[in-house]
Order: sequence, then structure tokens, then C-alpha cells
Amino acid sequence: MPNPTALTPYPVTITKIVDETSDVKTFTVVFDDPEIMENFGNKPGQVCMLSVFGEGESTISITSAPTRGKFLEFTVKRVGRLTDVLHQMEVGQKFGVRGPYGNWFPFDIMKGKDLFFVGGGFALAPIRSLIDYALSDQYRSDYGKVEILYGSRSYDDLCFKSDLFERWPGLSNTAIYTTVDRGDENWKGRVGHVPGYVEEVAPSPENKFAIIAGPPIMIKFALPVMEKLGFKDEQIITTLEMRMKCCLGKCGRCNIGSKFVCVDGPVFSLAQLKNMPQEY
Amino acid sequence: MEARIVKKGQLSELLDKLAQEYDLVAPVQEETLTFFRKVSGAKDVFLEYTNSDVSPKGCFLPQNEKTFNYTYTGDSLEIVKPGDEKKTVLFGARPCDARAITTLDPVFEGEKFGDEYYSSKRENTVIIGLSCSKVLSTCFCYAFDGGPCDGTGSDLLFTEIGDKYYVEVNTEKGKVLADKYSQIFSSQGADQLAKGKEEIAKKLAGEFVRKVDLTGVKELLDDNFELPFWNGDDYKKCIGCGTCTYVCPTCHCFDIFDHTIGDFNGARFRCWDSCMYPEYTLMAGGHNPRPTRKERVRNRFMHKLKYHLDRYNMVGCVGCGRCIRKCPVNIDITKIINDLKEVAQNA
Repeated sequence: MPNPTALTPYPVTITKIVDETSDVKTFTVVFDDPEIMENFGNKPGQVCMLSVFGEGESTISITSAPTRGKFLEFTVKRVGRLTDVLHQMEVGQKFGVRGPYGNWFPFDIMKGKDLFFVGGGFALAPIRSLIDYALSDQYRSDYGKVEILYGSRSYDDLCFKSDLFERWPGLSNTAIYTTVDRGDENWKGRVGHVPGYVEEVAPSPENKFAIIAGPPIMIKFALPVMEKLGFKDEQIITTLEMRMKCCLGKCGRCNIGSKFVCVDGPVFSLAQLKNMPQEY
Repeated sequence: MEARIVKKGQLSELLDKLAQEYDLVAPVQEETLTFFRKVSGAKDVFLEYTNSDVSPKGCFLPQNEKTFNYTYTGDSLEIVKPGDEKKTVLFGARPCDARAITTLDPVFEGEKFGDEYYSSKRENTVIIGLSCSKVLSTCFCYAFDGGPCDGTGSDLLFTEIGDKYYVEVNTEKGKVLADKYSQIFSSQGADQLAKGKEEIAKKLAGEFVRKVDLTGVKELLDDNFELPFWNGDDYKKCIGCGTCTYVCPTCHCFDIFDHTIGDFNGARFRCWDSCMYPEYTLMAGGHNPRPTRKERVRNRFMHKLKYHLDRYNMVGCVGCGRCIRKCPVNIDITKIINDLKEVAQNA
């Protein structure tokens, strides 16, 4: 059984690597100990600490839904020392994982509702776990229409292309909207920013949750659009990033006021965020 | 409450015995400074101190601690954790520092996750507190319901009365230790000394120089994250050296890092970290939620006066006064508290 209270990671083996963009890769891993894999019990929205020995640890969200099988997927952007080493790894190699940590998307409260996902750039990664959870055979009937509006700078910067263009579009009661900031010869679709596209699609707030994740600039312009459409703060859910070391609520650095993002988050509603200091 | 008496003349014998049977951690003098270190016997112990320069929190959260060794080749990974903790006696913790350990307990043992490294040290350590015999000009433990002879956090509390120590037995752990050395911990006449201790406590309570009044401060901070007060001189003086957090008995932040030895071997460590450093919250992508000293200074005082209370219903400061004594630019938490009180009054 995994002991999430320990600072000790468990070995995992990389079984698959997908190049999402020029600097984003998705690693599929399984625990070497089948019992840990079996009982890991991660919920959509939770995170893990990834150990790259010699570099330390980093907090990465679990991109895969538990409903997809006994494996974990981590989508990692190359931004620093640890992720640089991780990006050089190959299938069959090992690193360490501990977790799962943090809260999760309120999928129980969301039952019976439509879900409208808004993602920008690399930040589709943390909400993809909920998308796949809601679209799974097991739980599909718990949720209404699932819509995913996703954009990035260019076609090359779109993550999860096989999900966007192959796996998700065929599913019933599902709609996928994609957009890019700059079109090119590879792109036949819409050109424009995410917030403008949300305004154009104009989802009705009725019986719906909006799940938003993206760069701060996208969030900044998307929130007023949601508000204009009539979404209440309680209906808007997002997930935060912070520097973390322990992920257990002890090392101190991920606090926003009295809350620790690692144990009280990373998932917050806009209503909750409005009651917290603007220090994130 | 049970009490015992230890004759001052027998303290050396007790310390030598403890050092033989346990890891004995006690105050020692190094040049002009006092630290808590593992000692070999009574001869190493320095008792002429009012308060140590660095608190004994390192007994439970060491400044540097190896969490495990690893052997990693890329294709194989092996992790080996350190063995069990040794039985330890921490001797000479002042009441503020013993109380401070009780404020660390809920961080490492409470809520959702435990901490095996902290807990095993905590379980295996008996804390012998030592009442103060002097009050420093920077002391203000009374403001947080502490006191120079307060037994909170001490398994046994020694109070010097004439040629004896009056020993309060506060916990079962303390009782077991006192019973083990019953030839030194005498029960006879202990009750008569209780009054003597009370008198000392009363006398010392009158010697505090600093007037600290927390009235309305928590309520002010609850309602106001942004206060013009934080734009004042205090953060401008701060040089971000982190000394306050290093000497603080209630600060618990830590960093985790790897140290590689050769091609395949290494160890993971955790070590004290400080919210005063910009790297503390700096994310790999370059974003920093607390980018300037203003946010960092505010965070430290908010943690002491509000966040710790919100989270654990315990104050995040015990009034030991170390951060006042050690700050190179004279940032003074008692001045900040009193200033905030004034802001609250004028609000």
C-alpha cells in the first residue's frame, strides 16, 4: 500500500512517451510494485511529487483519469533543471513518484450537470483527468453535455492532439472547440484567442460547471466573459500551481493566506479564491 | 501534579547517567554563543545561559536531515531509509522553546499527513525543561500565555530554588524517567517547594520590559490582507537574510534537495528554509507569488499572528525574542504587534 505521508517515493517505470509539442511530453508510467499501482486511488485533479534523482522533486498533476486504467500519465513542460532531465529519459527508465496529493475536482457535486471546460496552452493537462473521468463508460451517464474549448498559440502548441481530433470528437453529447492564436498551413480551423471564442460559443450557465485552466493572461480575460454570460463564482472551478517541496502541508511555501495549495487545493472555485489573498 | 526534588549537587551525576543511557542534547557554549548539541556528559553542559542563540527545535526538525539514500542508474532504483531513532533526552529547554515544540506538533503530526521523521524523534525524546532565572529585555512570552516557569511542552520542568531543583512531572514519559533515577529524583519534601516556585514565577513575571498588547490584532489581520502598514519602513529595512526564521523556535519551513555522490549514489536531504528568500516561492516558469520583500515580510508576520492560529488554533510565536535580538536591521515583532494594535484601534 502506498503511504502518502512518507517523503519516500516509489519507483515507477516509463512505458510510453508522447511528444505533445516541442517542449511538452506526456509520460505514461506504472509503479514497479503492482500492489501500489492497484491501490493508488488517485482522483481527477490530484497531483504527485515526481522524483528525478540528483535533481530533487517537482509537483506535477496527474493528467490521466483513474478510469482509463492502471497507469499514471504526467504531462511535463521543460522549464527547469528537473524537467530538463525528465525530458531526456526514455521508455523503460525509472524515476520516483509519491502521492496522490491535494484535493480533487468536485465530481460528486458536478453530477447531473453539464461541464464546460476552458483550457489554454499547456494547462489542458490538469483538467484532462476530469474530462476523461466524465467521458468514461463508467461515469458518462452521471454528467450532461461535455464541452471542451481549448486553444494555444499555434497548431504545433496544441497538446493532446489525438484526444482533440480523434478520441473525443466521436463521443456522444460532446463538443470540442479548438482555436489557435496564429494560423499556419497546418491549421484549417479557427484563429483567435480563447476568451473571444468562449464569448462566441456563449455557453449558458444553466445547470453547468465551468472548469478553467490556463495561463494567467487567459484567465484574466476569460473570467469577465464567464461573468457576462451569467456564470456565478461557485460555478467556476480552477486549479492552481505553486512551488512545493513536501506536498504534505508542512514545508510552508505554497500557502495562500492560511491555506496550503498542496492539501487544501489545488482545486478551488472562483468563490473560494475571492475569499483568499491575491497572492498566487 | 506530581513533583520531585533534585539536589543541585546531584545534577552532574544525573546528566552523566543520562548521557550514558541516552543521546543527551543540552546547551553548550561555543565561543560566545549557546547552542543545543549532543553532549558526552555534564562537563560539556553550559548552564549559565538565559536563552540559547538557536532554539532546540533541531532536536525534532534537524537543520539538515537525510531522509534516505538512493542508488539510481536510470534503469534501476533502490531507496534505503535510515534506521530507527535513538532514545534521547533534551535537557535545558527554556519554557518558550518547550512550548514552541507543541506548536510544531500539529504541523508534523496533525491534519491529514504525519511525518515519520519528526514523530519518531518526538516519541523517542524526553524533554526536560528548565525554568528561567532571568528575564531578558527582549522576552515577551507572557503575551502569548507563556511564562518563565511555564511547563507546557516539558515532560519534566526543573525550577532552580536555592540549592535544589523543584521538578514538576508533567507527563507519563517524564514520570518514567524520574522513576528510573529515583535515587536522584526524590519525592520527599517536594510539595513544600511548590510555593517557592510560585513566588519565583511571580517575581519574574514582574520583570518583563516589553509591553506587548495583541488586542484586536488578529481581527484586524483577518479582515485586511492589504494594509498600508505593510508599505511602511519595516519591510524596507529587511535585507532578506533569513536569520529570524533560522533562530525562530516555531518556524518549520524546509527545503528538500538531492546530493549525488559518484555516478549512481546519492542521498536526499531536507534542511531548514526561509520564507524570507525570493527562491522560496519562485516557480520554475519564473512566476513568483511573493516577488518582493514586502510580501515576504508580511507573510512571516501573518504566519506568526494569524495563519498558524487559523490553521491549528495555536499562536505562531512564543515570545522568545530571538528574532529581535538577532535581526541585523532591528526589525522588532513587538513593535509590529503594537503598531498593528494601533492601526486596529484607529480603524
